[in-house]
Amino acid sequence: MAGIDVGGGHGGKRATNHEIPLIPFIDFLLCLVAFLLVTAVWSQMARINADARVPGPPKDEPPEEVKKEKQLHVEMRGDRKFQLIWKEGNTVINTIDVDKKPVPVGEQGDYKYPDLAKKIEEEWKANGQHRAASDTKLDQAVLHTDNSTKFSDIIAVIDAIYSPHRDFNVGVKTEKVPAFNVTFSVN
Amino acid sequence: MSAEKPLSRFHQPISVPGRRLLHHVPLKFVRKKVAGGGGRALNQEIPLIPFIDFLLCIVLFLLASFSASGELPIDKNVKLPNAENVIDMTEAPMVAITGTQILVDGNPAGSTRAIEDSNRLQRIDELFNVLKNKRELWKQLNPTKEFPGVVILQVDRNVQALVVKSVFQTAAFAGYPNVSFMVGRLAKPGEGGGH
Repeated sequence: MAGIDVGGGHGGKRATNHEIPLIPFIDFLLCLVAFLLVTAVWSQMARINADARVPGPPKDEPPEEVKKEKQLHVEMRGDRKFQLIWKEGNTVINTIDVDKKPVPVGEQGDYKYPDLAKKIEEEWKANGQHRAASDTKLDQAVLHTDNSTKFSDIIAVIDAIYSPHRDFNVGVKTEKVPAFNVTFSVN
Repeated sequence: MSAEKPLSRFHQPISVPGRRLLHHVPLKFVRKKVAGGGGRALNQEIPLIPFIDFLLCIVLFLLASFSASGELPIDKNVKLPNAENVIDMTEAPMVAITGTQILVDGNPAGSTRAIEDSNRLQRIDELFNVLKNKRELWKQLNPTKEFPGVVILQVDRNVQALVVKSVFQTAAFAGYPNVSFMVGRLAKPGEGGGH
Protein backbone atom coordinates (compact mmCIF):
# COMPACT_ATOMS: atom_id res chain seq x y z
CA MET A 1 0.00 0.00 0.00
CA ALA A 2 1.13 3.57 -0.54
CA GLY A 3 2.82 5.24 2.36
CA ILE A 4 5.07 8.07 3.40
CA ASP A 5 8.35 6.89 4.90
CA VAL A 6 10.44 9.65 6.40
CA GLY A 7 13.08 7.23 7.68
CA GLY A 8 14.47 6.93 11.20
CA GLY A 9 11.97 7.68 13.93
CA HIS A 10 13.04 4.96 16.33
CA GLY A 11 13.76 7.24 19.24
CA GLY A 12 10.82 9.67 18.82
CA LYS A 13 7.52 9.69 20.60
CA ARG A 14 5.15 9.17 17.71
CA ALA A 15 5.70 7.26 14.49
CA THR A 16 6.25 9.64 11.58
CA ASN A 17 5.56 7.08 8.85
CA HIS A 18 2.05 7.22 7.47
CA GLU A 19 -0.06 4.97 5.29
CA ILE A 20 -2.42 6.66 2.83
CA PRO A 21 -5.77 4.82 2.93
CA LEU A 22 -5.97 4.05 -0.79
CA ILE A 23 -9.11 1.92 -0.79
CA PRO A 24 -11.42 4.65 0.68
CA PHE A 25 -9.76 7.13 -1.66
CA ILE A 26 -10.57 4.93 -4.68
CA ASP A 27 -14.14 4.50 -3.39
CA PHE A 28 -14.48 8.27 -3.13
CA LEU A 29 -13.16 8.76 -6.68
CA LEU A 30 -15.53 6.12 -8.05
CA CYS A 31 -18.49 7.82 -6.32
CA LEU A 32 -17.40 11.15 -7.82
CA VAL A 33 -17.11 9.62 -11.30
CA ALA A 34 -20.56 8.03 -10.98
CA PHE A 35 -22.14 11.32 -9.83
CA LEU A 36 -20.52 13.35 -12.61
CA LEU A 37 -21.49 10.79 -15.25
CA VAL A 38 -25.11 10.82 -14.09
CA THR A 39 -25.33 14.62 -14.06
CA ALA A 40 -23.32 15.17 -17.26
CA VAL A 41 -25.14 17.07 -20.01
CA TRP A 42 -24.56 15.36 -23.33
CA SER A 43 -26.98 17.43 -25.38
CA GLN A 44 -25.71 19.06 -28.58
CA MET A 45 -28.11 21.97 -28.60
CA ALA A 46 -27.06 25.28 -30.07
CA ARG A 47 -28.72 28.40 -31.47
CA ILE A 48 -28.79 30.25 -34.72
CA ASN A 49 -29.17 33.98 -34.44
CA ALA A 50 -31.54 36.42 -36.13
CA ASP A 51 -32.06 40.12 -35.60
CA ALA A 52 -35.47 41.74 -35.58
CA ARG A 53 -34.03 45.19 -36.47
CA VAL A 54 -36.55 47.12 -34.41
CA PRO A 55 -35.68 50.58 -33.09
CA GLY A 56 -34.32 50.71 -29.56
CA PRO A 57 -35.55 53.00 -26.76
CA PRO A 58 -35.37 56.76 -27.54
CA LYS A 59 -32.10 58.49 -26.57
CA ASP A 60 -31.43 62.13 -25.63
CA GLU A 61 -28.83 62.56 -28.35
CA PRO A 62 -30.05 63.41 -31.87
CA PRO A 63 -30.06 60.32 -34.12
CA GLU A 64 -27.10 59.87 -36.44
CA GLU A 65 -27.72 60.13 -40.12
CA VAL A 66 -28.03 56.56 -41.36
CA LYS A 67 -26.15 55.91 -44.56
CA LYS A 68 -27.96 53.68 -46.99
CA GLU A 69 -26.08 50.42 -47.24
CA LYS A 70 -26.21 47.52 -49.61
CA GLN A 71 -28.31 44.64 -48.32
CA LEU A 72 -28.54 41.10 -49.61
CA HIS A 73 -32.16 39.98 -50.03
CA VAL A 74 -32.57 36.20 -50.22
CA GLU A 75 -35.80 35.27 -51.94
CA MET A 76 -36.82 31.65 -51.24
CA ARG A 77 -40.37 31.69 -52.52
CA GLY A 78 -39.76 29.86 -55.78
CA ASP A 79 -39.85 26.08 -56.02
CA ARG A 80 -36.86 25.72 -58.32
CA LYS A 81 -34.49 28.55 -57.50
CA PHE A 82 -33.37 31.09 -54.95
CA GLN A 83 -32.88 34.71 -55.89
CA LEU A 84 -30.10 36.79 -54.38
CA ILE A 85 -30.84 40.49 -54.78
CA TRP A 86 -28.41 43.24 -53.78
CA LYS A 87 -30.36 46.39 -52.90
CA GLU A 88 -29.37 49.84 -51.74
CA GLY A 89 -32.52 51.27 -50.20
CA ASN A 90 -35.18 50.46 -52.77
CA THR A 91 -32.76 50.41 -55.68
CA VAL A 92 -31.97 46.97 -57.05
CA ILE A 93 -28.25 46.74 -57.86
CA ASN A 94 -27.86 43.15 -58.93
CA THR A 95 -29.93 39.94 -59.12
CA ILE A 96 -28.49 36.42 -59.13
CA ASP A 97 -30.38 33.15 -59.53
CA VAL A 98 -29.23 30.02 -57.70
CA ASP A 99 -30.74 26.59 -58.34
CA LYS A 100 -32.51 24.98 -55.39
CA LYS A 101 -30.50 21.79 -54.84
CA PRO A 102 -31.10 20.40 -51.37
CA VAL A 103 -28.46 17.93 -50.14
CA PRO A 104 -29.64 15.56 -47.38
CA VAL A 105 -27.63 15.61 -44.15
CA GLY A 106 -27.87 13.05 -41.34
CA GLU A 107 -30.70 10.65 -40.71
CA GLN A 108 -33.30 13.04 -39.34
CA GLY A 109 -34.48 14.43 -42.64
CA ASP A 110 -32.27 17.52 -42.54
CA TYR A 111 -30.78 19.02 -45.64
CA LYS A 112 -28.57 21.93 -46.63
CA TYR A 113 -27.96 24.09 -49.68
CA PRO A 114 -24.21 24.03 -50.44
CA ASP A 115 -24.64 25.79 -53.81
CA LEU A 116 -26.48 28.65 -52.16
CA ALA A 117 -23.85 28.88 -49.40
CA LYS A 118 -21.05 28.97 -51.99
CA LYS A 119 -22.76 31.68 -54.03
CA ILE A 120 -23.50 33.80 -50.95
CA GLU A 121 -19.83 33.55 -49.94
CA GLU A 122 -18.74 34.66 -53.42
CA GLU A 123 -21.22 37.54 -53.35
CA TRP A 124 -20.05 38.68 -49.92
CA LYS A 125 -16.41 38.62 -51.04
CA ALA A 126 -17.35 40.74 -54.07
CA ASN A 127 -19.90 43.14 -52.56
CA GLY A 128 -19.69 42.89 -48.76
CA GLN A 129 -19.14 46.28 -47.09
CA HIS A 130 -18.02 45.26 -43.61
CA ARG A 131 -14.96 43.08 -44.02
CA ALA A 132 -12.32 44.59 -41.74
CA ALA A 133 -11.75 42.87 -38.39
CA SER A 134 -12.06 46.26 -36.65
CA ASP A 135 -15.50 46.92 -38.22
CA THR A 136 -18.14 46.31 -35.55
CA LYS A 137 -21.04 46.25 -38.02
CA LEU A 138 -22.09 43.24 -40.07
CA ASP A 139 -23.57 43.09 -43.54
CA GLN A 140 -27.32 42.67 -43.52
CA ALA A 141 -29.25 39.83 -45.18
CA VAL A 142 -33.04 39.91 -45.43
CA LEU A 143 -34.89 36.62 -45.84
CA HIS A 144 -38.12 36.54 -47.84
CA THR A 145 -40.22 33.41 -47.29
CA ASP A 146 -43.60 32.10 -48.18
CA ASN A 147 -46.10 31.80 -45.32
CA SER A 148 -46.32 28.05 -45.84
CA THR A 149 -42.56 27.38 -45.86
CA LYS A 150 -41.49 24.82 -43.27
CA PHE A 151 -39.26 26.01 -40.42
CA SER A 152 -36.61 23.37 -41.26
CA ASP A 153 -36.30 24.92 -44.74
CA ILE A 154 -35.88 28.40 -43.24
CA ILE A 155 -33.10 27.12 -40.95
CA ALA A 156 -31.34 25.45 -43.91
CA VAL A 157 -31.30 28.79 -45.79
CA ILE A 158 -30.22 30.81 -42.71
CA ASP A 159 -27.44 28.24 -42.21
CA ALA A 160 -26.30 28.86 -45.80
CA ILE A 161 -26.38 32.66 -45.26
CA TYR A 162 -24.20 32.24 -42.16
CA SER A 163 -21.58 30.16 -44.00
CA PRO A 164 -19.23 33.06 -44.98
CA HIS A 165 -17.16 34.03 -41.95
CA ARG A 166 -14.97 37.04 -41.28
CA ASP A 167 -12.52 38.17 -38.61
CA PHE A 168 -13.94 40.23 -35.76
CA ASN A 169 -11.96 41.97 -33.03
CA VAL A 170 -13.18 41.16 -29.54
CA GLY A 171 -10.89 43.04 -27.17
CA VAL A 172 -7.37 41.94 -27.97
CA LYS A 173 -8.50 38.70 -29.58
CA THR A 174 -9.72 38.16 -33.13
CA GLU A 175 -12.57 35.72 -33.61
CA LYS A 176 -14.31 34.28 -36.65
CA VAL A 177 -17.95 35.37 -36.87
CA PRO A 178 -20.62 35.00 -39.58
CA ALA A 179 -20.29 37.81 -42.14
CA PHE A 180 -24.03 38.45 -42.33
CA ASN A 181 -26.72 39.31 -39.86
CA VAL A 182 -30.09 37.80 -40.86
CA THR A 183 -33.52 39.27 -40.43
CA PHE A 184 -36.95 38.41 -41.84
CA SER A 185 -38.94 40.38 -44.33
CA VAL A 186 -42.45 41.00 -43.06
CA ASN A 187 -43.92 41.27 -46.55
CA MET B 1 12.57 -63.97 -2.34
CA SER B 2 9.13 -64.39 -3.65
CA ALA B 3 7.33 -61.36 -4.88
CA GLU B 4 4.21 -60.72 -2.82
CA LYS B 5 0.97 -60.41 -4.64
CA PRO B 6 -0.64 -57.04 -4.23
CA LEU B 7 -3.79 -57.04 -2.19
CA SER B 8 -7.08 -56.71 -3.97
CA ARG B 9 -8.68 -53.36 -3.55
CA PHE B 10 -11.21 -54.78 -1.11
CA HIS B 11 -8.40 -55.89 1.18
CA GLN B 12 -6.24 -52.77 1.05
CA PRO B 13 -6.06 -50.64 4.24
CA ILE B 14 -7.97 -47.42 4.36
CA SER B 15 -5.73 -44.67 2.96
CA VAL B 16 -5.93 -40.88 2.96
CA PRO B 17 -8.10 -39.63 0.07
CA GLY B 18 -6.45 -37.30 -2.44
CA ARG B 19 -5.70 -36.76 -6.05
CA ARG B 20 -5.15 -39.96 -7.97
CA LEU B 21 -5.58 -38.97 -11.59
CA LEU B 22 -2.29 -38.52 -13.53
CA HIS B 23 -0.22 -38.90 -10.37
CA HIS B 24 1.56 -41.98 -11.66
CA VAL B 25 3.35 -40.20 -14.50
CA PRO B 26 7.01 -41.07 -13.90
CA LEU B 27 8.59 -37.79 -15.07
CA LYS B 28 8.34 -35.27 -12.23
CA PHE B 29 8.09 -32.09 -14.28
CA VAL B 30 5.44 -33.62 -16.57
CA ARG B 31 3.49 -34.84 -13.56
CA LYS B 32 3.61 -31.35 -12.05
CA LYS B 33 2.34 -29.77 -15.22
CA VAL B 34 -0.49 -32.18 -15.99
CA ALA B 35 -1.67 -32.47 -12.39
CA GLY B 36 -1.80 -28.69 -12.05
CA GLY B 37 0.77 -28.34 -9.35
CA GLY B 38 3.32 -26.24 -11.23
CA GLY B 39 1.17 -23.32 -12.37
CA ARG B 40 1.79 -19.63 -11.90
CA ALA B 41 1.01 -17.88 -8.68
CA LEU B 42 -2.71 -17.16 -8.43
CA ASN B 43 -2.38 -14.03 -6.32
CA GLN B 44 -2.22 -10.82 -8.35
CA GLU B 45 -1.47 -7.26 -7.32
CA ILE B 46 -3.75 -4.61 -8.82
CA PRO B 47 -1.60 -1.68 -10.01
CA LEU B 48 -3.35 0.89 -7.81
CA ILE B 49 -1.35 4.00 -8.68
CA PRO B 50 -2.10 3.94 -12.47
CA PHE B 51 -5.70 3.10 -11.59
CA ILE B 52 -5.96 6.19 -9.36
CA ASP B 53 -4.32 8.30 -12.08
CA PHE B 54 -6.93 7.04 -14.55
CA LEU B 55 -9.78 7.84 -12.16
CA LEU B 56 -8.40 11.31 -11.51
CA CYS B 57 -8.23 11.97 -15.27
CA ILE B 58 -11.90 10.94 -15.66
CA VAL B 59 -12.90 13.14 -12.71
CA LEU B 60 -11.06 16.15 -14.15
CA PHE B 61 -12.62 15.66 -17.60
CA LEU B 62 -16.11 15.31 -16.16
CA LEU B 63 -15.63 18.32 -13.90
CA ALA B 64 -14.48 20.39 -16.87
CA SER B 65 -17.59 19.46 -18.86
CA PHE B 66 -19.91 19.76 -15.84
CA SER B 67 -22.84 22.10 -16.30
CA ALA B 68 -24.34 23.45 -13.10
CA SER B 69 -27.34 24.84 -14.97
CA GLY B 70 -28.48 21.34 -15.91
CA GLU B 71 -30.09 20.10 -19.07
CA LEU B 72 -31.97 22.40 -21.38
CA PRO B 73 -35.70 21.84 -21.16
CA ILE B 74 -36.76 20.53 -24.57
CA ASP B 75 -40.39 19.64 -25.12
CA LYS B 76 -40.59 16.02 -26.24
CA ASN B 77 -43.15 16.91 -28.93
CA VAL B 78 -40.75 19.38 -30.57
CA LYS B 79 -38.44 18.02 -33.26
CA LEU B 80 -35.73 20.60 -33.82
CA PRO B 81 -33.94 21.13 -37.14
CA ASN B 82 -30.14 20.90 -37.28
CA ALA B 83 -27.59 23.40 -38.58
CA GLU B 84 -23.82 23.79 -38.99
CA ASN B 85 -23.12 27.50 -38.47
CA VAL B 86 -24.36 27.80 -34.92
CA ILE B 87 -23.34 29.47 -31.67
CA ASP B 88 -23.49 28.17 -28.10
CA MET B 89 -26.67 28.38 -26.08
CA THR B 90 -27.21 31.22 -23.68
CA GLU B 91 -29.49 31.82 -20.75
CA ALA B 92 -32.64 33.57 -21.98
CA PRO B 93 -36.43 33.13 -21.92
CA MET B 94 -37.43 30.08 -23.95
CA VAL B 95 -40.49 30.32 -26.20
CA ALA B 96 -41.61 26.88 -27.41
CA ILE B 97 -44.15 26.29 -30.19
CA THR B 98 -45.66 22.82 -29.82
CA GLY B 99 -48.56 22.06 -32.12
CA THR B 100 -50.90 25.01 -31.65
CA GLN B 101 -49.67 25.90 -28.16
CA ILE B 102 -47.09 28.54 -27.26
CA LEU B 103 -45.13 28.10 -24.03
CA VAL B 104 -42.79 30.57 -22.33
CA ASP B 105 -40.39 28.72 -20.02
CA GLY B 106 -42.91 25.87 -19.88
CA ASN B 107 -45.94 28.01 -19.05
CA PRO B 108 -48.78 28.49 -21.59
CA ALA B 109 -48.67 31.87 -23.35
CA GLY B 110 -51.18 31.76 -26.17
CA SER B 111 -52.08 29.76 -29.22
CA THR B 112 -51.16 29.80 -32.90
CA ARG B 113 -54.69 28.85 -34.00
CA ALA B 114 -55.76 32.47 -34.62
CA ILE B 115 -52.76 33.03 -36.94
CA GLU B 116 -53.43 29.84 -38.90
CA ASP B 117 -57.13 30.67 -39.22
CA SER B 118 -56.60 34.25 -40.38
CA ASN B 119 -53.57 33.25 -42.54
CA ARG B 120 -51.85 36.55 -41.93
CA LEU B 121 -49.00 37.87 -39.81
CA GLN B 122 -50.23 39.16 -36.44
CA ARG B 123 -49.12 39.93 -32.92
CA ILE B 124 -49.93 37.30 -30.25
CA ASP B 125 -51.23 39.38 -27.34
CA GLU B 126 -50.85 36.75 -24.61
CA LEU B 127 -47.24 36.05 -25.58
CA PHE B 128 -46.57 39.79 -25.84
CA ASN B 129 -47.83 40.39 -22.28
CA VAL B 130 -45.88 37.48 -20.78
CA LEU B 131 -42.63 38.59 -22.45
CA LYS B 132 -43.20 42.22 -21.53
CA ASN B 133 -43.76 41.27 -17.87
CA LYS B 134 -40.58 39.21 -17.93
CA ARG B 135 -38.64 42.15 -19.33
CA GLU B 136 -39.99 44.53 -16.69
CA LEU B 137 -39.21 42.06 -13.92
CA TRP B 138 -35.64 41.71 -15.22
CA LYS B 139 -35.23 45.49 -15.27
CA GLN B 140 -36.48 45.75 -11.69
CA LEU B 141 -34.03 43.08 -10.56
CA ASN B 142 -31.11 44.55 -12.53
CA PRO B 143 -31.67 48.35 -12.58
CA THR B 144 -28.06 49.20 -13.43
CA LYS B 145 -27.57 46.69 -16.24
CA GLU B 146 -28.57 47.01 -19.89
CA PHE B 147 -31.31 44.60 -20.91
CA PRO B 148 -29.86 42.03 -23.36
CA GLY B 149 -33.18 41.45 -25.18
CA VAL B 150 -32.38 37.85 -26.08
CA VAL B 151 -35.11 35.28 -26.50
CA ILE B 152 -34.74 31.70 -27.75
CA LEU B 153 -37.42 30.16 -29.94
CA GLN B 154 -37.84 26.39 -29.75
CA VAL B 155 -39.79 25.62 -32.91
CA ASP B 156 -40.76 22.27 -34.39
CA ARG B 157 -39.24 21.64 -37.82
CA ASN B 158 -42.69 21.36 -39.45
CA VAL B 159 -44.13 24.64 -38.15
CA GLN B 160 -45.09 27.10 -40.91
CA ALA B 161 -43.12 30.27 -41.56
CA LEU B 162 -46.22 32.39 -40.88
CA VAL B 163 -46.34 31.22 -37.26
CA VAL B 164 -42.56 31.62 -36.84
CA LYS B 165 -42.66 35.17 -38.21
CA SER B 166 -45.63 36.10 -35.99
CA VAL B 167 -43.86 34.84 -32.85
CA PHE B 168 -40.62 36.52 -34.00
CA GLN B 169 -42.37 39.84 -34.50
CA THR B 170 -44.28 39.57 -31.21
CA ALA B 171 -41.01 38.93 -29.34
CA ALA B 172 -39.41 41.94 -31.04
CA PHE B 173 -42.34 44.21 -30.12
CA ALA B 174 -42.16 42.98 -26.50
CA GLY B 175 -38.57 44.24 -26.27
CA TYR B 176 -36.61 41.18 -27.39
CA PRO B 177 -35.00 42.12 -30.71
CA ASN B 178 -32.23 39.49 -30.47
CA VAL B 179 -34.11 36.35 -31.40
CA SER B 180 -32.32 33.02 -31.60
CA PHE B 181 -33.63 29.73 -32.93
CA MET B 182 -32.72 26.61 -31.00
CA VAL B 183 -31.26 23.94 -33.29
CA GLY B 184 -29.25 20.75 -33.11
CA ARG B 185 -25.55 21.08 -33.84
CA LEU B 186 -24.41 19.45 -37.08
CA ALA B 187 -20.72 18.60 -37.46
CA LYS B 188 -19.04 20.71 -40.12
CA PRO B 189 -17.24 18.80 -42.89
CA GLY B 190 -13.81 17.84 -41.58
CA GLU B 191 -14.89 18.06 -37.94
CA GLY B 192 -15.42 15.02 -35.76
CA GLY B 193 -18.39 14.31 -33.48
CA GLY B 194 -21.50 16.38 -33.81
CA HIS B 195 -25.10 15.53 -33.49
